[in-house]
Amino acid sequence: MKEKNWFREHGLILLTGVVVGVAALVLTAMGNPKNMGFCIACFERDIAGALGLHSAAKVQYIRPEIIGIVLGALIAALAAREFRAKAGSSPASRFVLGLFVMIGALVFLGCPLRMVIRLGGGDLTAVAGLLGFLAGILVGVVFLKKGFSLGRAYPVPTGEGFMLPGVMVVLLVLLAAFPALLRFSEEGPGSMHAPLVVSLIAGLAVGVMAQRSRLCMAGGLRDAFMLRDFNLLTGFVAIWVTVTVGNLILGNYNLSAVSQPIAHSQYLWSFLGMALAGWGSILLGGCPLRQLILAGEGNGDSAVTVLGMIVGAAVAHNFGLAGNADSVVDGVYTVGGIGTAGMAAVVIGFVVLLAVSVAHLPGKEAA
Amino acid sequence: MREKQLRLVVAFHTTAGAMAAERLCRKLSLEGRLISVPRSVTSDCGIAWSAPPELRPTLEARFQEAGIDAAGYYERMV
Repeated sequence: MKEKNWFREHGLILLTGVVVGVAALVLTAMGNPKNMGFCIACFERDIAGALGLHSAAKVQYIRPEIIGIVLGALIAALAAREFRAKAGSSPASRFVLGLFVMIGALVFLGCPLRMVIRLGGGDLTAVAGLLGFLAGILVGVVFLKKGFSLGRAYPVPTGEGFMLPGVMVVLLVLLAAFPALLRFSEEGPGSMHAPLVVSLIAGLAVGVMAQRSRLCMAGGLRDAFMLRDFNLLTGFVAIWVTVTVGNLILGNYNLSAVSQPIAHSQYLWSFLGMALAGWGSILLGGCPLRQLILAGEGNGDSAVTVLGMIVGAAVAHNFGLAGNADSVVDGVYTVGGIGTAGMAAVVIGFVVLLAVSVAHLPGKEAA
Repeated sequence: MREKQLRLVVAFHTTAGAMAAERLCRKLSLEGRLISVPRSVTSDCGIAWSAPPELRPTLEARFQEAGIDAAGYYERMV
């Protein structure tokens, strides 16, 4: 009886985690980079590159997965009559927070979703990222308990809620009908991708399921720490278990801290990068995946956040802030990671997040 | 696992609203606790206040006095 109740309560989020995990495995098997079946940060960076917002030749491609996630969430929200056009919750702060969440994620080389997928591939370097993400969430929770708020959103004309889904449709049309207008990587992660239709269907499936279940990496940990509610965290665990089991079956599991695909072993900066992403995600009310889902539901503030993340990706590559993967050059294992500019960006990111956090505590607005 | 029972669920526009409600209820010794807002209430993943249903008039009055803007009051099995 107890088991029955547990499944009734957690079944949907569990199923969503399995769908995300299976989608990640299928996408990797069909061409996406290893341990990168899904990565919101990496894919938004690739989109920024495809549009010419940065010139890192190895990371340029309009990722249909991102388009699918937003449109899947839109379809699910419309079908369930949950589409609500709203905005006005500190959009400028959200843009800046999105920008630094992206920089933090690219320092680590992955968003929270890819962090779990990397762990599911046996990538032990991602443990530093996980610990950093936990630390960042805890800092964010401290500010939430002190009353941090970016303010409420208000209803806006319906058309406003369709802006980001509309942008996604335009990107899809460009990719399918006018590819000559876009940039495409000829080598590196951007050149590795599953067929367009497969990527789009996987994105749509994840978008629909994540909208129904409210899957969120940051929200799961926030609820666990603040409320002792482990429902959303169940999705997190389901992704990890599914990807781990799938990789073991497919022979792709490699439990090691060296030579992991698109990962580096600068542990301190992996920790700090994901701490920045975790703290920022709590202030924003959701991880990068959740921002796409909310934007699909008509939330203009999340749409602004997504645009901030895309600009953050462009900044990260134009100014050399993003991490470089460990590599083997002439038979010598070379540790990648970030340079001085990336380190400075992470420190600046913490200063900015602290300033935004303090500025939005109760009483600060009137002072 | 906690047994489900009929509860008043108060949703807020922001997490800060839920935190303010918790502080006020603690101060006034009003029974209740913070919960993740039920999926049947909204697709948002915010935080709500759960209290015995009979406290609804008291909470509505106290929240209004304190300037805490509730997004809605619902009765749910949680």
